[in-house]
Amino acid sequence: MQPILKINLTTGKTEKYQIPPQWERDFLGGASLAARILYSSLTRELDPLSPEAPLLFMMGPMTGTSGPTTGRFVVCGKGPATGLWAESNVGGFWGPELRAAGYDGLWITGKADHPIYLWLDGQMLESRDAAHLWGTNTYTTQEKVKEEIGEKSAHVCVIGSAGEKQVLFASIMCDHGRMSGRTGMGAVMGAKNLKAIAVHGTNPIPVFDLAKYAPLRSESNRVLKQDNEAKVLRELGTAGAANYAEYMGAMPVKYYSRGSFENVDNISGAKMTETILTGRSACQGCVIACGRVVKLGDRAKRKGPEYETVIGFGPNLLNDSLESIVDLGELCDRYGMDTISTSNIIGLAFHLFEKGIITEKDTNGIPLEWGDVDAMEQLVNCIGRREGIGDLMAQGSRRFAAHFDVEEEAAQVNGLETAYHDPRGVSGMALSYATSPRGACHNQSDYFFVDWGHTHEKLGITYFDRHEHAEKSANVARHQDWRTVFNSIVMCIFANTDPDLQVKLIDAACGLDWTLEDMMRCGERGWNLKRAINNRMGLTAANDRLPKAMLEPFPDGGSAGYVPDIQGMLIAYYQHREWDADTGKPTRAKLIQLGLTDIAADLWE
Amino acid sequence: MAAVFPSEEWLQGLQAKLNSDTRYHEIAKNWEGDLFFFIEPEGNLKERLTFYLDLWHGACRKVEYMPAADSHPSPTFTLSASYKDITSILTGKLNPMTAMMTSRLKVKGSMGYMMRNVPTVLDFVRVAQEVTTEIL
Repeated sequence: MQPILKINLTTGKTEKYQIPPQWERDFLGGASLAARILYSSLTRELDPLSPEAPLLFMMGPMTGTSGPTTGRFVVCGKGPATGLWAESNVGGFWGPELRAAGYDGLWITGKADHPIYLWLDGQMLESRDAAHLWGTNTYTTQEKVKEEIGEKSAHVCVIGSAGEKQVLFASIMCDHGRMSGRTGMGAVMGAKNLKAIAVHGTNPIPVFDLAKYAPLRSESNRVLKQDNEAKVLRELGTAGAANYAEYMGAMPVKYYSRGSFENVDNISGAKMTETILTGRSACQGCVIACGRVVKLGDRAKRKGPEYETVIGFGPNLLNDSLESIVDLGELCDRYGMDTISTSNIIGLAFHLFEKGIITEKDTNGIPLEWGDVDAMEQLVNCIGRREGIGDLMAQGSRRFAAHFDVEEEAAQVNGLETAYHDPRGVSGMALSYATSPRGACHNQSDYFFVDWGHTHEKLGITYFDRHEHAEKSANVARHQDWRTVFNSIVMCIFANTDPDLQVKLIDAACGLDWTLEDMMRCGERGWNLKRAINNRMGLTAANDRLPKAMLEPFPDGGSAGYVPDIQGMLIAYYQHREWDADTGKPTRAKLIQLGLTDIAADLWE
Repeated sequence: MAAVFPSEEWLQGLQAKLNSDTRYHEIAKNWEGDLFFFIEPEGNLKERLTFYLDLWHGACRKVEYMPAADSHPSPTFTLSASYKDITSILTGKLNPMTAMMTSRLKVKGSMGYMMRNVPTVLDFVRVAQEVTTEIL
């Protein structure tokens, strides 16, 4: 791989860091390789918002190669809301541009003494004053930075005011609203006084064996174009899944208290396509183009929402106005805040208001009535500006609920708010949420797809009924291992590519000679490494849990009356993983088997 | 009426069952669209089989066994799969959602309409399974 550029914002010193070749072979790139690189930096004592905290923008070996949905990169560090391993991958064009500049990562430490942005033009790095951009929204910042550097073809990743104010779920945006949304990496960037990073490169993207890679790339993209799921995503966007998720009772409604939403069609991807859609957008090299371009009453073209934003600001808050969801999603994007966490915390506020735990005294006089779009908008603004109750909400749902002595009411795991795939409708998500290395995440294993029926027989990921329990624990673990490979490549989870072809692509891109088993072992290694990092930072078996709301049955919908047996699932999962039930750590033997001998020594000393 | 798949009798049996099944009638009451099924040769099936079904508001208005491909130029959906996968669906060995999500059942038509009507599709499969007593 190409070197990583280390930048210390306190001292201004830079250094080219060459990744040890063995680590490249063991972890490929992306999030797993970042975990290996940052292992020793991530300690329990480290304040994620301190100058010492690392922020690593990491590419994968296929980033920018126009492989199947491989225009992505990942941002890693320590999560400010979780205190655990944090990673958040994102598409757009910024990652490929960085590789074309000659780097496979940017490793930021320190803190600038005033707001700055970085301008990396090939090998030239410049730090520029950003005081005049502080407070500027994410879209305008991108435009202004491009204007100032005078390079239209540069790509810029930015934070909004939420990142500046260290909202703990602040995101990093690049290009047309592509967000590194989860785990608050925007807050870490803001804590470093780093407003934006503009990059421009002209080198060819390195591929180990391009002659071998190119036909494999063509074949995988050809197959992907014809894939049924890809067709749904292209035609309807990710919100195309809303109708079916609601039918199954897998789409949480009214802050995880109900399992059906009568007006689901009003907010579905199909409705968006029929009413406000004017175009589609794609990340670099992607043949799917799941991104939405929509027009509302002002006729301006804007980003349309994806599934999580639609459900979060829709059924989660009993709102069936698609137009208002577009507005609320855009408002979050402009502040630079994760829409899952933001809508989840607003749902929590509505829930606590309904229960009388908070009142208008707490909300600055805003009555929080389900479905009230004005109230939602006011809360988004309060959070983005850290004003009034928004200052408390900006700390994430766990701390917000704990402030009122009702931490158990928050739908979160380990400080990360749950996404909108409910384990009561798709039980595999119980393990996905409970054991994800970054909190309640749906992307470390989007197992809901498997519970819907999307099996991967070559990988031993077979079909279990969506309401089975411990029987599927090993299946979930295999799926997590596979998705860990995706997060190393860094490949979008929508790339429904044949695993054999995926291995061939990896081999051609990296100069390897792997089997499917090697690929899965790489994923397992990465998963266990992240677990070890979290164990070092204090995570134990007690952290593997589900929020209270998901252990109470839905009163209605396609999964009424069902509750996942999380304890039984975890017992089987630990056995499969070879994790120690008392400590929650991977056993020494498992770590050594995965080639993580030094990690085993460190973890079990 | 039950019959051996694939045969014209089976297709007629499917039509009769679709038109008499109360549950299907209720679930599919909003469905408006005709289908072409292409079953690709494999194993015991030596040549491509083509079925046509006109489904409307919970009923089956018309079926045709081996119609010419151009006899219905703009069907709402065209579905195609291998003989093995179709028979696996009919015998319950292959989940129809798995077939769709893994593209073993290829779908051409409005994906928006399909995603809104997955329950109808699944119940259609249930009815088809119930009329299948034997696979050729």
